[in-house]
Amino acid sequence: MSDIGKVRLRIPSSVKPGDVVQVRALVIHPMERIERDAQGKIIQKNYNYINKVVAMYLGRTVATFDTTQNVAENPFFTFNFKATDPGQLKVQFLDTTGGRYEGTADIKFS
Amino acid sequence: MTEDHHRVSRRTALLSLSALGVAAAGGIMMMPRSASAQALGQNESVEDAIKRLFGGKPMKDGAAAVKLDVPLIAENGAVVPISVSVESPMTPTNYVKHIYVVADKNRIPVVTRVTLAPEAGRAFVGANIRLGESGDVRAIVEQSDGTLLAVKREVKVTVGGCGG
Repeated sequence: MSDIGKVRLRIPSSVKPGDVVQVRALVIHPMERIERDAQGKIIQKNYNYINKVVAMYLGRTVATFDTTQNVAENPFFTFNFKATDPGQLKVQFLDTTGGRYEGTADIKFS
Repeated sequence: MTEDHHRVSRRTALLSLSALGVAAAGGIMMMPRSASAQALGQNESVEDAIKRLFGGKPMKDGAAAVKLDVPLIAENGAVVPISVSVESPMTPTNYVKHIYVVADKNRIPVVTRVTLAPEAGRAFVGANIRLGESGDVRAIVEQSDGTLLAVKREVKVTVGGCGG
């Protein structure tokens, strides 16, 4: 899949200073599940799944998600932050193979 | 005779007390380490997972403050939308620090741990999770003063979504 790592961020179209803004973040990722052999034993290998999501606003961490394989394929997260100044919102997705996928959105006040 | 009996019981009491003390100290020492060194998701039972994460700390019923939103019936266990919102002022002195989502029947019960900062403004998180089979889904909220609030809801899963 060449789409792996595509990040989409959705923020409301108009943001006012002081608003609590809800962000929806989506990343295209397979989030591999644990596989088992015929005896039901877990096959030991490095499963490729996202284990950390970091949301930063103006360089400060707002929310961190530590995730396991129980998160669905193409994970989708919602979180809030308080918009104080115009600036950049950055969401990073880190997976177990060292992949790092980033999405950014500019927060502007209209 | 009675004295003998007394002595033994006192000894056992002391022994068990000291064992408790060691366990408690170990629990405190382990807490921060387990968060970083051990993988968050392990193949274990819910009881073990909760013990590992919270070390037997008492949990209060959080039904008044915590709202866990999950569908009653999940047709597809591979994608179950879930959201947790907590009533909290989110000030630097009183905010929601962690939100844990735990699915009882999953073979790896811990789904996610969310760490929030006061800058979040509102303690609300949502995610799409997987559920292996019908069972309880819990949200455990850790506030900045260390109080734990727990809520759970039962979800019926038509088709399981966890291979693992």
